[in-house]
Amino acid sequence: MQPNLKVRPIQRFAQAVSKCSAEAAVYGQCVFKDYNSVHKDLCAKEFMQLKNCYLV
Amino acid sequence: MRLNLPRACRPQHLRLQTTPPSTRRAYAFQAPGGAVFKVFNSRSKWQQKERAAANPELSRQADYLKDEVAMRVCERLLDIKRHFPRVLDLGANSCNIARALTRENPDPDPATPTSPPLSNKITSLIAADSSATLLHRDASLPFNRQLDLTRQVLTDDETLPFAPASFDMVLSSLSLHWINDLPGVLAQINNVLKPDSPFIGAMLGGDTLFELRTSLQLAEQERRGGISPHVSPLADVRDVGGLLGRAGFQMLTVDVEDVVVDYPDTFALMQDLQAMGEGNAVLGREMGAIGRDVLLANEGIYRALHGNEDGSLPATFRIIHMIGWKEGGNQPKPLKRGSGEVSLKDILEAK
Repeated sequence: MQPNLKVRPIQRFAQAVSKCSAEAAVYGQCVFKDYNSVHKDLCAKEFMQLKNCYLV
Repeated sequence: MRLNLPRACRPQHLRLQTTPPSTRRAYAFQAPGGAVFKVFNSRSKWQQKERAAANPELSRQADYLKDEVAMRVCERLLDIKRHFPRVLDLGANSCNIARALTRENPDPDPATPTSPPLSNKITSLIAADSSATLLHRDASLPFNRQLDLTRQVLTDDETLPFAPASFDMVLSSLSLHWINDLPGVLAQINNVLKPDSPFIGAMLGGDTLFELRTSLQLAEQERRGGISPHVSPLADVRDVGGLLGRAGFQMLTVDVEDVVVDYPDTFALMQDLQAMGEGNAVLGREMGAIGRDVLLANEGIYRALHGNEDGSLPATFRIIHMIGWKEGGNQPKPLKRGSGEVSLKDILEAK
């Protein structure tokens, strides 16, 4: 990436998410466990933890 | 052939185009002017390619897949002992095929001291693509001087503005998977070929990006309670043989090859797809970017479902290679039905 180019917001986002791999793994496992019958907010609790981690 | 052009055309391309008259009457599989089933938004596709090529540095970095496939397509030329005076590269992207042709011979002959590059088999190559920026991105690089290369910008991806029977070979690498009217385009390719000339193509198909497709579906389902298409529907290997046959090609060869690329995370994968100009252009997709919640969920699910043990994420690209020959000359043909004189049963039972 060129230094004079502005960092795209999505890259900042990607970097923030990469710091939360533990929470992401917990959430991924939760969906994976039940992936044949996924419905809305199946793993809401795990997702909120993941989201809290990345917002900090 | 098709007159109901989409309304959302680029302004300079509003003029109607008709294909040159066919020299060969074929079975009418589609009435002219009839409705064509539209899957992709060709204007979005054009826009994505233009934008990707506007950043040459990033776009060149993401060319690894296209260069690799172009090389594999060109390697197939080694099997044909012939010289091709006039060749068309349809859907050339950034002229990846021209670049692959000018590389050193991938299969050097040990008997001869020097092995010329594959481009020696070709007199002039015409690279055609609808995106002018992408087509001319590498126009100043040295490989351009090593073969006679002409760039031609197409006004419409699905109409070939060439005279019938004017090419000795048609090549196509990684662009046919964005064509709405694949039977029509293949028939046009057949039409512009001289008799007894080959068409060698490669396109993405089948299970390409199935990891991304499934994990985005799960993420959207869990976060938002519904799904929208993010990965194109693609032709399957089974279909391609039938399509080529229907377009009038003979002596078909279709084979598949999987290229698996490992990425550090889903964002790297999606960014590279964007830089390749291979973003989502399905009609009826949800316009705009994917929401952050879904992206966040996708990252976790992709890793849990498909992740490698070393923490990288695999992405599969399934490449369908096809070769078809236009009818003509003294091409070998299957014998007529019922013309066999020896019963296989006798031979097999005598053993």
